[in-house]
Amino acid sequence: MHTKRMPTLNRRRFLQSAAAAGLAVPLVGSRAWAQSKDPLKIGVTMPLTGSQAGYGNDFVIGMRQALKDLNDAGGIAGRPLELIVLDTQAEPSLGINAMNRLINVDKAPVILTAWSAVVKAQAPTANREKVLLLNTGANAPEIAHLGEFVYTLFPLADVDISALAKYTYDKLGKRKAAVLYINNDTGIDAAKVYKDVFEKTGGQVVAYEAYDPRATEFSGMLLKVRAASPDMVHVHGLLTDVPMVIAQMRQLGLQQRVSSYSAGYNQKLIDQLGPAAEDFIVTSLAPGADDNPNVPQFLERWKKEQNRHPNGLPYIQYQYDSVQTTAQLFKHVLEKKQEPTGETMRAALLAIKEFDSPLTGKTVVDGHRVRKPVFLLSVEKGQFKPLAKLD
Amino acid sequence: MTDPIVLLQIFWTGAATSSILVLLTVAFSLTQKVTGLWNFAQAGFMGIAFYAMFYVLNDLQMPLLVALAAGAVCAASASVLTEVFGLDVLRARKSGSLMFFIFTLILAQFIIYVLTLLFGTEPQTLYKSIMSPVRIIGGIAISNWDLQAVTTAVVMVTLLFLFLKATKEGQFLVAVSDNAKLAELYGISAKRTYRVTAAIAGLFICAAMYLSGTRGGVTPNSPFELVLAATIATLLGGMGRVFAGALAAVVLALIQSFSVLVISSRWQNLLLYGFLFVTITLFPRGITLARLKFKAAASPPVSVGKPADVTQAS
Repeated sequence: MHTKRMPTLNRRRFLQSAAAAGLAVPLVGSRAWAQSKDPLKIGVTMPLTGSQAGYGNDFVIGMRQALKDLNDAGGIAGRPLELIVLDTQAEPSLGINAMNRLINVDKAPVILTAWSAVVKAQAPTANREKVLLLNTGANAPEIAHLGEFVYTLFPLADVDISALAKYTYDKLGKRKAAVLYINNDTGIDAAKVYKDVFEKTGGQVVAYEAYDPRATEFSGMLLKVRAASPDMVHVHGLLTDVPMVIAQMRQLGLQQRVSSYSAGYNQKLIDQLGPAAEDFIVTSLAPGADDNPNVPQFLERWKKEQNRHPNGLPYIQYQYDSVQTTAQLFKHVLEKKQEPTGETMRAALLAIKEFDSPLTGKTVVDGHRVRKPVFLLSVEKGQFKPLAKLD
Repeated sequence: MTDPIVLLQIFWTGAATSSILVLLTVAFSLTQKVTGLWNFAQAGFMGIAFYAMFYVLNDLQMPLLVALAAGAVCAASASVLTEVFGLDVLRARKSGSLMFFIFTLILAQFIIYVLTLLFGTEPQTLYKSIMSPVRIIGGIAISNWDLQAVTTAVVMVTLLFLFLKATKEGQFLVAVSDNAKLAELYGISAKRTYRVTAAIAGLFICAAMYLSGTRGGVTPNSPFELVLAATIATLLGGMGRVFAGALAAVVLALIQSFSVLVISSRWQNLLLYGFLFVTITLFPRGITLARLKFKAAASPPVSVGKPADVTQAS
């Protein structure tokens, strides 16, 4: 049998090997060093263009502020964090494309996303590719059932809308409500929650109407509402349509108190409606400036950097905190000397469970939901004022 | 919901809201009548008119009249420049109707992208407030906006009617729309007529966008919806029948408004597409009743469904 003869280690071969090894050591060292400094990637899919870009861009600004704070403080285990932001236009198909790119090209183990329709569309990919998908702003209750790799850091509609419906019946003493909602994933699920809870509490929903997301004329629908004589109107829509609905309500002589959810918590709505916005109730899932000392600082910084108010402050508080939470997941994974993957990040989320979020307070991950207090605000003299805090 | 007051309210609000569509349909239909083109670039001109007014009112803080003038000048100029540097060139090259269609569509999209870059995608209103004072007359709520919209539409459509009937320039438009080659034999410049038509369309577009921007938020993408509705009204009224198109716009808006009595509000916009489908398949030359009623108004003999290439070649 032929055996290969082992080379003998003579002086020349020894010197050659030593020289090669000497050259290789710094190369290996520098590669290891480079790896330790590789950024920790966080994928972000938000509407940067299109009708929802006003919110989407501000969401990303909030995230970038958190990123800067974390990186200025040394990153996570000496590694900087990096946001890779892609546009969805709040369209499901673009959301899927963006997600595929973040997984396959950028190799991001975690993706922050929002808008109910987009989250729902992205969920199957997240589950199939085992990438952690964190919802930071959508509130469709269905998000709690989208699979093992889809979690939410933002309370779903059954948290604030349930609380609002109960409050409307119990504290405001309203017995007949009209529910008007935008006919998309945001409106359909939330309106159902409001209706179910209000009726379960003892109230009656006397009008239940959906409108097209592109509609600008609501008179017919509002006349139906007027005929039903509710004593409260809940409008579950977006900033593009809610002011128009309320304006046309008032013009048709409907003077009922109106409520909405956190999308209506925007100064622009008050500007557009003027006195017609008085008594308008919105929910907020984040503490205001009076409840959390970090909020005024954040707001001041925002105004200094952007020279304007943010679009939907409570949402942006969540965006800031979502990056902070993701950083804690990376920290947990790296401390365990694991590679950050969707699976290890998911395990970290379930292991930590409770997060101290700088702008929104304690966040408790409860399965595929989060528990948060609900803040109600009402417009008084042209400004949003705290109305109630519901735990 | 069968209360007469409710029905009258739906009728009034639907009619008032239809004013926007009436103005846009007249702009679209007149262009189609004279040039034979489906000019979807008008979606871009709508955006230009709105953002010009928005800029003058909000950024320059100038009075409404200046804003309206700016909107009208910008929209009319964009429309005329498109005619001179785009459509005329295509005509000279004897391009097919598909090329015209693609050109206008791409131009609209291009303008919308530019407006998006300049003004963002957030819905904007011309004034901070969208509230309009309301008076109750006979149990019907009538807002100042409603009155302004109806008056604007009625005055502008009447002026156009008089222009077409009583002025030399108007007669040129009618002649060119009827037979451009024949009109040129009589010394009427088709090119000049196309430009006058473009300018008139710009004015109607500006008025419509003023009404739209004082009622609710407008984004750079909004005009595409509007131009689609104008297309449907033009088809319903019958190609080349401008005033029948205007009436079709009112009817469309009223049907949408009254539809809530029988169907859910969410289906209202879908109705538009239903009408488009039905019109194209069953009434490709418009609804006859409308033609009969408005034959007198649209005084010239109308070339129904005239192929685009006929005038493009002139």
